[in-house]
Order: sequence, then structure tokens, then C-alpha cells
Amino acid sequence: MKWLSLITIIIPVLLLPACSTSLPRLEFTPGASVETLSAAVSVSITSAEHGMSGSGFLVYRRPDRLHLIILSPFGTTLLEAFALGEQITLLYPSRSTAYVGRIDELPLTSGMHGWRFMRWVMDAEPAASNSISGTVERSGIQDMRESVTYENGLVARKKSQFGDQAFYSRYALLNGVPFASEVVLLTAGEQRIRLVLDEPEVNTPLEQAVFTPQLEGITILPLSDLRGL
Amino acid sequence: MMRIFRISSTLCAILLITCSTALARPVPPLEGLEALRKVLAGITDFSADMTQEKKLSVMKRTLKMSGTVRFRKPDQFYMALNPPHATRMVLNDAVIEQANDRQEGHTRVVLPPEQGLKQWFSKLSVPVTSLPADFDISADLTNSLYTLKIAPRGTGQIREVGISFLADGTIKRMVIVERNGDKATMTFKNPRRNSGLTDRDFQLTP
Repeated sequence: MKWLSLITIIIPVLLLPACSTSLPRLEFTPGASVETLSAAVSVSITSAEHGMSGSGFLVYRRPDRLHLIILSPFGTTLLEAFALGEQITLLYPSRSTAYVGRIDELPLTSGMHGWRFMRWVMDAEPAASNSISGTVERSGIQDMRESVTYENGLVARKKSQFGDQAFYSRYALLNGVPFASEVVLLTAGEQRIRLVLDEPEVNTPLEQAVFTPQLEGITILPLSDLRGL
Repeated sequence: MMRIFRISSTLCAILLITCSTALARPVPPLEGLEALRKVLAGITDFSADMTQEKKLSVMKRTLKMSGTVRFRKPDQFYMALNPPHATRMVLNDAVIEQANDRQEGHTRVVLPPEQGLKQWFSKLSVPVTSLPADFDISADLTNSLYTLKIAPRGTGQIREVGISFLADGTIKRMVIVERNGDKATMTFKNPRRNSGLTDRDFQLTP
């Protein structure tokens, strides 16, 4: 039994260095971060009540502008989500309907609840150096307490004070900026959102129109009216 | 979401109808639709490779995807997109299922029976004698390439669906223009007809 106890102690210790080096050691520019992003995206949303998967585009401008486009298998637009600060607009072209409100008003049962964390997920600046590994506790955006785990200076995982977790992987270097091509969000509400980004363009100019919903002829409803995806 | 899939099912039906087109000369829209119906009668299944390009009106970027499509009478349709956008969609009459390559985000939508594939094809079991009231239809012929344009009237999401095909019935391209100016182009290669597709070719899981 002593051997068993010893093994149970040794194995985690042996595994620890392996875990801490799972992200690559990239020679990124200190202080460089994603200011703007434009990328093709594959997204899947899984929860107890809802499921959705699809492809599209993701456009982001730091700190709080985001435009997500989800396409149907035929290439038509299923959903456009625009986030600006605390405001969010969910535009469904096939229904000629948009749902507008504050992000924290997203109904828990809508299947879109996880999107309230997207700003938090996108806030994943690298550490000052690629020699930094470990976990720090800090006050993140909107003064939310969070723990951030770095591996080789790259954000590997974030955990909010409420138990929401984001995992970052498949890093690459773009113009000196480290960029995670895969992000998985597990909310405390047991919703799972997986984003896989492809052909990213980082820190290129983006026109304001990209972040502005076109609502002419669109019926606008409050977020509380949103049912399902 | 229901309406989204209704549109998908409509587009699916248009796609399937035109996949089997064989017109030998320029024709008025009504004759063209009737010819399509006749050709469809000789098809039991169809499959092709596909590339898809999506151009967004507000961005100077194009999303490119590739995959395969399959159809089998009377009511099965399958579409699979390759990585990195791997997604599968299966339509069995009025039941649509969709998931990605990891079987995440599984979506299942049941349409009303009147919107199922079976219903679409039963409508085509009788000759087309009048043009659909809610569509503007036009056709042109360039060399041996026909282009048929179908524009739903009203202010819905779809402004126009264009289908290009050769006189021998080979579907070449399908273009969907949305009201906001976005354009999706599907180009087909290696079309295969009546190759003996089975239920196994229409499963969500690989």
C-alpha cells in the first residue's frame, strides 16, 4: 500500500512538467496582443437543451467590439451577433428579426447564454515574456476575479470566480502576436462553446461598418423574446 | 430556427431539382421547369464534390469551403463540409440533423410534413403548367451553359438563386444572393448519378 501511495504522489509530479509545456514556446513581441482580428470560424455550441454547429466569420476589435456570422450549409447567413460594450444585437436574416439588449439580458434558456462571456474569452493577452509559466489570480475585465494559467507566456486557461473556464490551444505567431486558433469555453451553466479559427488576420484595419448591424426593414425585439438558437 | 431550416430545405429542393437538369436549347421559364421535372424522373440518386465560396458585402474576405452532396429519392439529402469547417447535415424528408466532425452542437429540427422533401417531389410528379406565383424566373444560354435565375418576390432573406448547368444535365454552379448583398457560390465537380447510394450514405455519423 505504501508503494501505491508513493505512485499516486509521483505520477502527478511527473505529469506536471509535461502539462506545463503543452503550449509551444513562441518568440512573441513583448506587449504585443490582438487588437483586431478577422478570421473564418467553426463554432459549436452544446448544452443540455440546445445544440448548434456551423461555420462563418468572426471579427473583433479590442476591447469590446465583436461581430460573429454563422452560415448555413448552403452559405446563407443564419445568424449575425454584434457586440458593442454591454450591448448585443442578434440578427436573424431569415426571420427579418433582430433581438437587441444588454448582454447580461441574454435568456438562460436561449442557448446563447454563453456569448455573454465572449468579451472575457477574447481578453487573453500573453505574459510579458515567454519564460513565464504558472497561475496568477487577478481582477479581470469588469472587475471579475479570475485565475489565469500561463504556459511559456501564453494563456492556456482562464477560470472566472463563478467557475466558468476558457481553454486556449493551437497557438501560432502572427506578426509577432501569439494567437490561439482553438478556444473552448465551459460555462458554469454547463454550456460548451468551441471556436476554431482559420485564416486569421491580426491587427489589420477594420472598417466601422463591419461592427454595425444593418437593421433596415428588420423587426427589432427585446432579448427577452429570444427563444432558442 | 424553424424558418432558417425551411429556407435550407427550399434551397435544398431547388438544388436537387437542378442537379439533374438536361436542357438542349434556350427555353421559356415554364418549359425549363417542366424539362427539369422530366429529367428528375430518371434519377434515383445523385452525388458530387462541391466547393463553396461566401463573399460578405461588408468585408473584403471570402470564406472557402469544400465537401460533398448526396441525394436519393424520395426524400434523403446529405451534405458534408471538409475540415477546417467540418459539418454534416442530413435531411430525411422533414427531419434535419446537423453536427460537426466531433458530433458537437448536434441540431435536430423537425419541419412540418408539407415542407419535407417527399412533398416537394410529389409536387413534381405532375407536369408544371404554370410558373410559381411568388417567383420571378429567367433563363439564358451561353454556349452550352444554361443559367436559370429564380428570384423570390417580397423582402425575404434570399434575393436570387442562380443555377448554371450544361446541356447534358451536369450541374456546374449554384449562386445564392442575399438581400444584404452577401453571395454564396457552390461549384460542383465529379457528378455521379444512379450510383446505388444506400442508407449508409445518409448518416450523420461517418
